[in-house]
Amino acid sequence: MRLIYLVVLALLASPILLAPMAAAASDDDDEVDEEITSREFSFRAGDGVKIGDYRVELISVVSVMDGLIEVKVWRRASDFEDWRVMEDHRDASFDDGAERGGLTLTVIDIFDEETVRMRAEYRSDYGYPQKYVTERAMAPKNLPKLAVQTTVDRTDISSGDEVKVTITVTNTGNDTARDVTIQDSPPLSQFRYLAGYPPKIKNQLSPGESDLAVYSMVAVTEGEVNMPATVARYADSKSTIYSASSPSISIEIKPKRMPDLVLKVDPPVPIKRGGEGPINITVENNGDASAYRVEVKAEVKSDGKSLEVVKGSLDESFFEIPPGGSETYSATVKGSRSGSYAINLKASYQGDGEMIQKETAFEVTVLEREYKYLYYLPVLPILIIGFWLFRRYKEYKY
Amino acid sequence: MLNVLMLGIGQCGNRILDAVNRESFGGSSKLSKYYSRQKFPSRVETLAINTAVNDLKELKFTAAKDRLHVPNLHGVGANRSIGKQGFWDNREMIMEEIEKRGDFDIAFVMTSASGGTGSSFTPLIIHELRERYKNITVVAVMVLPFREEGSIYLQNAAFSMRDIMEVESDGIILVDNQYLKRLSGDIKTAYDKINDMVAERILFLIESLDSEMLSVTDLGDFKTVMRGGLGMGTLGFYESDKKTTSLTSAIEGSIKPGGLLYPANVYEDAARAMIIIQGSRESLDVDEITKSVEKLSSKIGQVFKGIVIKKGRPKVLSVFTLGQVPDLEMLYAQAAQAIQDEKGRKTRAKKQLDDAFAYIEDLEEIY
Ligand SMILES: Nc1nc2c(ncn2[C@@H]2O[C@H](COP(=O)(O)OP(=O)(O)O)[C@@H](O)[C@H]2O)c(=O)[nH]1
Ligand SMILES: [Mg+2]
Repeated sequence: MRLIYLVVLALLASPILLAPMAAAASDDDDEVDEEITSREFSFRAGDGVKIGDYRVELISVVSVMDGLIEVKVWRRASDFEDWRVMEDHRDASFDDGAERGGLTLTVIDIFDEETVRMRAEYRSDYGYPQKYVTERAMAPKNLPKLAVQTTVDRTDISSGDEVKVTITVTNTGNDTARDVTIQDSPPLSQFRYLAGYPPKIKNQLSPGESDLAVYSMVAVTEGEVNMPATVARYADSKSTIYSASSPSISIEIKPKRMPDLVLKVDPPVPIKRGGEGPINITVENNGDASAYRVEVKAEVKSDGKSLEVVKGSLDESFFEIPPGGSETYSATVKGSRSGSYAINLKASYQGDGEMIQKETAFEVTVLEREYKYLYYLPVLPILIIGFWLFRRYKEYKY
Repeated sequence: MLNVLMLGIGQCGNRILDAVNRESFGGSSKLSKYYSRQKFPSRVETLAINTAVNDLKELKFTAAKDRLHVPNLHGVGANRSIGKQGFWDNREMIMEEIEKRGDFDIAFVMTSASGGTGSSFTPLIIHELRERYKNITVVAVMVLPFREEGSIYLQNAAFSMRDIMEVESDGIILVDNQYLKRLSGDIKTAYDKINDMVAERILFLIESLDSEMLSVTDLGDFKTVMRGGLGMGTLGFYESDKKTTSLTSAIEGSIKPGGLLYPANVYEDAARAMIIIQGSRESLDVDEITKSVEKLSSKIGQVFKGIVIKKGRPKVLSVFTLGQVPDLEMLYAQAAQAIQDEKGRKTRAKKQLDDAFAYIEDLEEIY
């Protein structure tokens, strides 16, 4: 508005003013008593304003709180150049000030870190201030920029498993990031935190530098868990705060791993009366956790000595059978009376703190006396020695 | 027949126990477990207890059923507090495993004093044994660390020894790695050698206590010896070669520093002793033995003597308790110093941190 008044005023006044001025000019050639005008304009850091041959460039806002800015004023086709830090509401003369053909600048208002309103006084024949963009503004700004990345070493876990979380913060900008802090979501109830939590990283990161924080946690429940983004906050050299965050991660926690033992018995070959036959028992872990303290016990349904174990034992114990693993052992039974004998095998073992029981049953048949297998007899001692060695091996294998 | 329980706790204890089991196979061959049977002089039950599965897996001569893994989610490290907690969490399971092995007259609990598992479990197990078995004699076999193994080990040794004294075992047999390391170049062979020595001596002792001796010593006498002095002592051993046939020098050899598991001056420091001589009937001259034991008695005080007839060259085992233990005192001084140093370091670090925090005192975060 004010500008319009001024323009109108100037237009109205010009015919009246021009005459005496022309007279004055002819009167006094050197000491031209030009009128001083005053104009206001806003510009942003990196902008420049042309006033006649003068150029005023806003380099930066040094401090909004303290009302300080930095400007560069220069004149075309001369070597006048003046860099200065200006305080707001305080007149500053450049090239001897408006009275002497230079500029008098006053900072009227600093809006933010970028924008300033300024009043310029100068000889009115310099015309209106005109904005232009300086080369400086086109050059990329020096600002820090952080990239946050959160990774977990596994996303497919079971309750009770440990997960390692790595947070990597990289400064991809071209200025130092200061006061860097990271905030990982408040501890998730689905996990128990072991070490390294809450994560911390370096306070400052130079351009190109990166830092990482690692912590580990143990899943305590099951189900789908969404780990919210990790947020990094940081400031640039002017204490402007920025933040960056990583994408969220979803982790599936499967139910606790459990061992699952299966007892298998090779169908025993019928043994002849008075003869002996091997029984091979395999304990297989089809679960996905180790079975501990496995105790296999057999119950032979036989009256007295009709069927008895003569070598080895149908009972065994194993300290650990890993998932997918299996243990095999053997015993030799001797049948003294023909018939079928049921044998019950019971395995008890420990999985995740509780005792689990498994059972299976099989039958051993004792045939009537028959001698045609007699020629197998010489092999028997070798077999027995083999079994014995094997059993010893098992007994001391842990 | 004596009922003997031997517990090996923690890595060190496990290994000594394995050495005992190997010894019982007779030969020292690696394959002996395939062709030989374990023969113990008495009814001996062995049980290796550990929180570390790998330490248990390493054993070779201990039956799988005699290896008890105590699950402890994050292991024990060398942290005795975690170890104790681990014991409390699994107490019933552990004690059940022991109790199902029947009744016992004597228990040897073997461990390193300085590790995590053994040093923390042992006092608690001894306490439990005392509570659960009426007439049991409990002897701890404690292995002291190499002094250069670091402050945590020293500190563990100091505190675990105190814990053991507090639970009132019937005595402690000291084995000093530091003292025995001169026996061998590298650590591994030193360990093996030390473990063998301990195993051999303890089996010898058990055998002697359970034998028909010519001169009577029994479990009661052994208990009397172990309860003497400070309640801690060690074992000495001497096996005569052909040249030195004199029984007197064999007996003296068994108490010479070179034959001991812990450095002591028997003549000056011993409180009570037991000398057990084993040999063939021809080689043992009871008069000579009596004379030299009497000579010892005049210097030490109570000395029990046992004579066991067995084929072979004369062997002598000495068991004694001490009235003073300068080497252990030195270890305590070192441990105290180490703890002080550690504390100092911590306070300094804390102070530096506090100084750093002082910079932001009264300030608030500004955004
Ligand atoms: N004599 C002997 N000392 C051992 C053996 N293994 C470890 N040590 C010592 O035991 C201490 C460590 O304790 P360790 O038994 O490993 O700890 P734990 O398993 O946590 O009870 C150290 O002082 C070692 O020098 C061994 O086989 N023989
Ligand atoms: Mg160890």
